[in-house]
Amino acid sequence: MLVQALQALATGLLTGSVYALLGAGFSLIWGVAHVINIAHPALAVGAAYAVYALATRGVDPLASLATVVPLFFLLGVGFHEGVIRPAARRAGDLVLVSMVLTFGLAAALENALAAIWGPGPRVVNVAYTGQAIRLGVLALPVPHVAGAGLAAVTITALYLFLHRTFPGKAVRAVWQNRDGAALCAINLRQVTSLTYGLAVASAGVAGVALALIYSFSPATHLTWLVFVFLVVIVGGVGSLVGAVVAGMVVGAVTNLATLVIPFAWAPFLLFASLGILLLWRPTGLFRR
Amino acid sequence: MSRAAAAGLVAVLVVLPWAGAGEYPLALLYSTFMYATLAVAWNIIGGFAGYLSFGHAAFFGLGGYATGFLLVHAGLSPFLTAPVGGVVAAVFAALAGYPCLRLRGPYFAVVTMILGLAVRAVVLNLPWAGAAEGLWMTLPPWEPLAARRAFYYAMLGIALVTALAGRAVRLGKMGVGLEAIREDEDAAQSIGVPAVRLKMSALILSAGLTGLAGGIYAYDRSYIHPDFMFDLHLSVLAVLMALLGGRQSWAGPILGAVVVRLVDELLTVRVGTEAARIIFGLGLALVIVLLPDGLLPHLMRLRRRAPRPPAAVPAAVVRP
Repeated sequence: MLVQALQALATGLLTGSVYALLGAGFSLIWGVAHVINIAHPALAVGAAYAVYALATRGVDPLASLATVVPLFFLLGVGFHEGVIRPAARRAGDLVLVSMVLTFGLAAALENALAAIWGPGPRVVNVAYTGQAIRLGVLALPVPHVAGAGLAAVTITALYLFLHRTFPGKAVRAVWQNRDGAALCAINLRQVTSLTYGLAVASAGVAGVALALIYSFSPATHLTWLVFVFLVVIVGGVGSLVGAVVAGMVVGAVTNLATLVIPFAWAPFLLFASLGILLLWRPTGLFRR
Repeated sequence: MSRAAAAGLVAVLVVLPWAGAGEYPLALLYSTFMYATLAVAWNIIGGFAGYLSFGHAAFFGLGGYATGFLLVHAGLSPFLTAPVGGVVAAVFAALAGYPCLRLRGPYFAVVTMILGLAVRAVVLNLPWAGAAEGLWMTLPPWEPLAARRAFYYAMLGIALVTALAGRAVRLGKMGVGLEAIREDEDAAQSIGVPAVRLKMSALILSAGLTGLAGGIYAYDRSYIHPDFMFDLHLSVLAVLMALLGGRQSWAGPILGAVVVRLVDELLTVRVGTEAARIIFGLGLALVIVLLPDGLLPHLMRLRRRAPRPPAAVPAAVVRP
């Protein structure tokens, strides 16, 4: 039982780091642009299908990152300039408008994927599928480790970018105080575009990582949406560290819970704990 | 719309099934009533109070499952038990709503969306609720047209009750309180608006009306499954209709419901469901980009431009 629990904890932390990555990009857009991007996990599922299409032509998922990341960065910039910005300029209530708008895009993307590949689940098979690294009593599946490694590298890169470079500091400045940043001659439009590019690119990476770990179908984005929301609510909007910790917690709790209850019940358990958390701290654990 | 015009419209809708309307127009109107119910009910909490719920499918589905359960296990007709569906949804809203309503703005929107998705996941795994196989509900041995008429009147009744409830809330004292909450909750509370009680009442009323519609809808489908009874699409549709029609008035969402239902119908008839959802999603995004505040402000502007007969101003109001 103890070994089983340790095993569940270890794989939970590995998948949790991927949830953290997906949640971090979502949180970045929420914090900087005040937009709730329902399409964020749908974009990740889109990346997973791109990996799948490339993998059937013999390209390794990790190698396909070379196309997914720049492509998704540009997609994010275009998403902001072409879709969100025109709506946001006229919107009376940005939360409402952005949620309905991005839900429409997510639904369109989901059904487009279903039209191309069918509604059934797909699996990316690679050379190391089914292999595991032995670590004492624990067996860590190689795809999980690869996915978690990808997430860790991307989150570290994001952290260093946000904290060590000038454009990254500009993003954080806008995140903390939009008007103050504008007064310091920070170009809000450029910073917001850059944020969308980074966030959507990170969603692409998360999609690649999730494609390694799970099977996915066009409707999978709704499951991931729950996890993304949980990560952001628990971790608090505007905290990369919060997102990492929350992702780990959510992953670990989900996996440990599956020892006792069926996997599909995990959202209920998470929601119940979320309800208790909200009664206790209505704005998340890491809110400044 | 004046009171006489509204009464005339209702009278027309009441006699319509006996004036030669076939199954298709009755079915189309029935679903329009359902959409209008969802939109007006959503607007009580989402529009008047400004608490944007993205989880109303949970209330709709619970209402449907309540009547389905009572039919399968107790043999009671959903036409009689639909109010039970409403009560179940309202009780759930009272329990789950309390922690949710402590949140404001985007947090409330996001948490209610999780709530909707979580309820779907739970019902999908409840063996006594049919789980992933769903529940089959046997319809009474009626002729198709008679059945359509029954569902038509049931949904018309629910839509009327909902519209009257929405109107009563908007024009009554509660509407003033909810408006104050929407504008500035802290300020409202500081001058004695019982914010928690009003928010809870608005959510419970909204959920109850939504559950009522769900109870009848489930019976009409005669087969219910979590995938469409708790569909996130439904939650967003309610928001969209209210957004399109205008969230400040009680009747605006009805306009939004009519527009959305007609577009939906045209798309599903012309192209398949999958393509319809792609087009609907993209069209929805386009409409939001072009009209983020809905149709009503534009219609009002058109009306203002049209010449209007000068209103008789009471002498006492005119001041130099």
